[in-house]
Amino acid sequence: MKEVLIEVKDLSVQYTSEGKEIKAVNNISFQVNKGETLGIVGETGAGKTTTALAIMRLIQTPPGKIRNGSVQFDGKDLLQEKESVLRKVRGNKISMIFQDPMTSLNPVYTVGDQIAEVIWLHEKVSKTEARKKAGSILELVGIPAERGSEYPHEFSGGMKQRVGIAIALACNPQLLIADEPTTALDVTIQAQVLRLMTNLKEKLNTSMILITHDLGVVSEVCDKVAIMYAGEIVEYGTLEEIFRNPSHPYTQGLFNSIPNMNKKVRRLTPIVGLMPDPTEIPSGCSFHPRCPKAMKECKSMKPGNIQLNGEHKVSCHLFDETVVRGRVETNEPSTP
Amino acid sequence: MSQALLEVNNLVKHFTTGTQTVKAVDGISLSINQSETLGLVGESGCGKSTTGRLTLRLIESTSGEINFEGQNINDFNKRNMKKMRKEMQMIFQDPYASLDPRQTIGETIMRPLMVHQIGKKKDRYNQVLELMEKVGLDPRWVNRFPHELDGGRRQRVGIARALAVNPKYIVCDEPVSALDVSIQAQVLNLMQDIQEEFNLTYLFISHDLSVVKHVSDRIAVMYLGKIVELAEAEELFHNTQHPYTKALLSAVPVPTLEEKPHKIVLEGDVPSPKNPPSGCRFHTRCPFAEARCKVEEPELREVGSEHFVACHLV
Repeated sequence: MKEVLIEVKDLSVQYTSEGKEIKAVNNISFQVNKGETLGIVGETGAGKTTTALAIMRLIQTPPGKIRNGSVQFDGKDLLQEKESVLRKVRGNKISMIFQDPMTSLNPVYTVGDQIAEVIWLHEKVSKTEARKKAGSILELVGIPAERGSEYPHEFSGGMKQRVGIAIALACNPQLLIADEPTTALDVTIQAQVLRLMTNLKEKLNTSMILITHDLGVVSEVCDKVAIMYAGEIVEYGTLEEIFRNPSHPYTQGLFNSIPNMNKKVRRLTPIVGLMPDPTEIPSGCSFHPRCPKAMKECKSMKPGNIQLNGEHKVSCHLFDETVVRGRVETNEPSTP
Repeated sequence: MSQALLEVNNLVKHFTTGTQTVKAVDGISLSINQSETLGLVGESGCGKSTTGRLTLRLIESTSGEINFEGQNINDFNKRNMKKMRKEMQMIFQDPYASLDPRQTIGETIMRPLMVHQIGKKKDRYNQVLELMEKVGLDPRWVNRFPHELDGGRRQRVGIARALAVNPKYIVCDEPVSALDVSIQAQVLNLMQDIQEEFNLTYLFISHDLSVVKHVSDRIAVMYLGKIVELAEAEELFHNTQHPYTKALLSAVPVPTLEEKPHKIVLEGDVPSPKNPPSGCRFHTRCPFAEARCKVEEPELREVGSEHFVACHLV
């Protein structure tokens, strides 16, 4: 049995905007084992980034608020700890890589100083030593140490993202949260950055949460996958389970929406409709208005988490035996 | 063989900034046949958007010919060009920035009809409603403003606006890159439907190779202002010749568990178009570069039926 590094339980986050409550993340639970990579996949507004920020307790309050839940890490519940404890965790034991390498670096500090700052804050070293260590971390991500004295604007997009990775890895974190780390990059640069991240992860045995909308990236780096829709995890499983046997109609819809380079399809099969307005999440299963297999139960009843084979879990009535059996007994046309 | 609707010959665009010259597009030639989709792929800064805009004369070329239905539109004066614009339209990348926030959806779609004086004044409103229906927008949204619409619907407005003048040729500059995958598929299907219905010719610019492969009949790959490979879509993917195209295709993460082709990870970044490398522009990153690649610039030549490659080693 693998050792659990972080366990998120019943996490809910809300934002308040113009008097309306926006339920960004609703009762989600997952865990990440040591050395494993969990991919959190979903479209805009699914709550992926909010989940990541909530783990680090970086949700701006107000307008955001963590309503309930717990994040067990290192024997502590990060959601209950004092701010001073969290400051020791952030950037040290858990660190984050942001989506946009153009805006996540400080333009008025040299790259070397920005890496050294993390080391100097968390480790008992002098500033000179911190700077020296920063140089060796730059080398680790494939940038010559002497370029540490340059400013972010002197770097290309891919190199800036490597600096972001260097900052995140500076203190050998146990968990790395990467929020769309390659979305802003060109494919050849994306390939470089992904290779770097997987190599470093293996070398340092870091666990990772990778947030992305790109199932291709997931297939290359993740061990486990969680599919999010409207603030909930609708399907969870190992990479194999999700890719061989996508079960939730939303997951299937996602796979059908992407043009596949290896297969010639004349027409794509999109998911009908739009993401729901987060202030008015549909009743029952939040996917029912767009679901091609929706039944009448889906409108009224929230589906529970149903265990399939292995670690595969899905939140859908189609897999709930009591619902399906109930339909057969009342002689309703059986869907799907 | 269908006829070429648009043909560009040796098209060049150099931008001058201060004392430096950026060679954004540096001598490209291609043709697009009637009702065909030509995909144009490449990484940021390779000159694909500039090429798209040049073919519409939205920016003036430094030199070269742009023949639209046999006429060199570079020679056209303003008045003739304006007439020509009816035939050629554009769909932009960013559905947030390409719509005027102070115009309603209806006004935005009606504007090209007014500019080109198409139809009678009283009919135009109905034309707008028809166009909206055609692109899958609820006609009740006619008086809404862009900020009330999501990205997918905004892109539909952009498509309706381009369709309004009944053009023959549309430059689609990354039309779906700003959209979520489920919405992206909806818009791609719509674009295919209207292409069939109106017999449209597309220049489809994108950095997303799986999208380009899905929509294109033929694909041109650009690197630093040059076309390095051009072929029929299936041919380009299954009989790839240029080392850059090979690297580009292998770099795309494919969502499958099947055995993937060996990844060719290129070292370094794309060099600056201000000072492109000598000889073959790709030689600085090419794993197979030889001595002559540094000095001699390869020509784009035909290596198979309708398959063009610019590489010394092919």
